[in-house]
Formats: sequence, structure tokens, C-alpha cells
Amino acid sequence: MREQRGWSGGNLALKLTILALTAILLLVLQQTGRLGTVEGLVTLVTSPGQSGLSSLTDRLSNSLTNLRNYRNLQQRVTELELITQGLIVENLRLKEVERENQRLRELLAFAETRPSFELRGGQIIARVIGQNATNFLNVAMIDLGSRHGIHVGMPVVNEQGLVGRIYTVNATTSKVLLITDPSSTVNTILQASRLTGIVNGASGSDPVMGFIPQGTEVGVGEVVLTSGMGGNFPKGIPVGQVVDVRQKDVDVFQEAIVRPTVNFGRLEFVMVVTNFDPFESVPLLDTLPAQPIEPSGESSEE
Amino acid sequence: MPALGAAAIFQVVVVPKLAVNGVYPDLILLLVIARSLLAGRNDAVVWGFTGGLWMDILSGGAIGASSLALMTTALVTGVGHNAIFRRHLFVPSIAALSGTLVFSLVYLAILNIVGFRFQPNLLVTEIVVPVCLYNAAVMLLATPLLNRLPEKTEYA
Repeated sequence: MREQRGWSGGNLALKLTILALTAILLLVLQQTGRLGTVEGLVTLVTSPGQSGLSSLTDRLSNSLTNLRNYRNLQQRVTELELITQGLIVENLRLKEVERENQRLRELLAFAETRPSFELRGGQIIARVIGQNATNFLNVAMIDLGSRHGIHVGMPVVNEQGLVGRIYTVNATTSKVLLITDPSSTVNTILQASRLTGIVNGASGSDPVMGFIPQGTEVGVGEVVLTSGMGGNFPKGIPVGQVVDVRQKDVDVFQEAIVRPTVNFGRLEFVMVVTNFDPFESVPLLDTLPAQPIEPSGESSEE
Repeated sequence: MPALGAAAIFQVVVVPKLAVNGVYPDLILLLVIARSLLAGRNDAVVWGFTGGLWMDILSGGAIGASSLALMTTALVTGVGHNAIFRRHLFVPSIAALSGTLVFSLVYLAILNIVGFRFQPNLLVTEIVVPVCLYNAAVMLLATPLLNRLPEKTEYA
């Protein structure tokens, strides 16, 4: 029988003990925040490969999609032209509404008491270079880091709405905790009924907006926006749309299932809002409180 | 081992695009299970440790959690190595099914210990069961290739 040497042979129990202890040590070191530099170095080395592969995959995916849609392109162009015309009219109407809104704000001296959040000029466009390695975490890696002025807690959005927030920053990359992750919580408000609640990610399904006060009916299709409460996200960013409501008279609060406006399956580019200072940096492991809280959201862990 | 790093990058960048109903196969897990069938537990635990580290670093998860879960998986699925029916069509698939279940349970238990919170009923119906089936299906497709690879004998 051939003698086995090195890691490929040897005593299984001994090898297993050493590796398991090493893994536990790494786990403890990371949980106590002592592995940041090593993680940063590794991602520094792997991020160019991730970027390249990500671009290649996106290009391939887009080419395949275009090829698949080729037959319907003409019809789609016509449809899109009609939609564009409608949007131009809608845009004009919205501009008028915006002007009216501005006048009302001035009348109420709204800007003095509660300055509206200015998104323009504070965004950096980042490319998503990696997504979840496992089915249990909803995290995206972007190609911007501390060298680009990214800090933990900064909100991340795209043209569709709220994506998440930065929770780990390395020199050239950052990790974004998506709003679909179970450990993510966002203070929100329903656009029409003005009810507040907390959107909590759920594993394998759409996020749930909980802590909605009873008494007012929540309509399916209502738009969910960030409420700005808690100070971790700017107010008014679209989060999703209510697709189902769970209401029981015996419960203190009602719940709504929220379909995110962001298509997380096709996340390519995101914007980091750099001119918004989060109230406090919230670690990854924040969770909803065990006891129900008042719906004001002031004490919530957004 | 660099191959496991490349596979981990592939897992992070490309595999999520193969999602069906939000669930996608776990490449590193399948590689470790395949290694345990071909080369036995002794090799597969090292693969599990290394592959797990790559996964955790790239995914932002708790570093070490995947390693521990993958090593446990390798120990369980390594039972299939040198078995009389190793080359049976369904053995790798059953190994993938049971291996994914073991991996999920251990991984989630570790995440739970370090502070992550999940809804267990949703996890089982929406993720664990579909991933088990998805991984088993991928392994079934890969079985002909697996059976052509050289097998390492091991007499413990």
C-alpha cells in the first residue's frame, strides 16, 4: 500500500481537529473585528478577477437576451415610442407638480425645519462585482471602497429604488447588505395611507413590512417609501410595493408583504449616496427587537 | 486549491445568474461532495476547509462558518467513497441531497450562534428544500463526468 503524505493523507481525526480549530479561531477573530486587514487584502487580489468575470457575464447575458428578443424588437420599439410619448406628458405634469410642491414648501418654511435630502451630486456609481455566495445571505460586492470615500452605513440605491446599505468597506471594494437580507431592517412609510412600519428582509421570499398600526386598511399596490426615521436612510426612496396584507384583529400590528422595486436578480450598477450621514453605523447583525415597539420608529434599529 | 478560489469567484459572480425562483446551486459544496466521493473524507475535509474560507471571504458571511459546515458535509458524504455502489447513477445525487441538507443545517446553526436571525419555516420551504433538489439535479447531470474521473483509493 502506498504511503500517504502531507494534507492528502495522514490521520483524519488529527487533521479534522486542526482544521476545525482553525475555522473556529477565524470565526472568533472575525466576530471580534480582527480580520479586517486580511479580508481587505484577499478582496484586493480577487476583485479584478471578479470585475472581469462580471463584465463578461453581463455582456454574454445581454447578448443572449438581445438575441432572444430580436424577433420582437420592432414591436417593442413601437410600444416604447408610445410609452415615451406618455412619459413626456407625465414628465411635464410632474414638473408642474414639482413647482407647486416647491411653492408649498416655501410657504411652510419646510426647508428651514427639515431640509430635504439632496441626492444629486452625492452619488458615486459603482458596479456590482459579486453577489451572494450562499443562498442564505443577501449581500452584493461593489467596486468602490474607502479610497473612493465610501463609509459604513452609506445608503445604496439604483434608479429603481433602495438597494441596501454599506456594511463592510475595504480599500477598493465594499459589501452592501441588501434590503432582502433577513438582518436588514428599514424604517418605511406607506405612500397613500401614511402608515409607518419596518421592512425586514426574509429568506427566500419578499420582505415583510411589520409593525404597521392596526385600524387603517393597507391597500395592495401601495407604494412603500423610506420614512427617514431612525436616520439611517434618507426619506422618500422607493422600497417596494405591497403585494399582500396579513391582518388579524387579535394582533397588535398588521403586516404587508412588499415586493422590492429593485430587481435584485439583475443588479449591475448601483449608486452610493455619499452626502448622507447615517445617524449611526449599524452592524450587520442587527435584528428586530424581540418585543413589539411603538410604531413611531424612533427607537427602532433601522 | 487555487482552483477552489476560482470556483468561489465563479460561484459569486456567475452562479447567482442561474437562479431558479431565487435559488441557485452551490458549486463549492458540490465540488466538496464530489471530492469526498472520489477521494474520501481525508482529502475532502481539506477541500471543505479551503473552499469554505473562499466562500466566506467573498460572500461577507462569518469566516469559518462555511469551512466547518463543509468539513462536516465531507465527513458525511465521504461514506459514499469506495462503496460498492459508488458508480451507481443515483449515489452522487443522493450524496448531494443529503450533503446539502447537512451543510444547510450546520451552516445555519453556526450563523445563528454568531447572531444571524432567520425564520426557520420559511428557510426550509423556500431555500433548503429547493437547494437540495437543485444541487441533486446538477449532480445527476455531472455524474457521467464524475464517473470518468480517476478515483483515489483509501484504506483507513
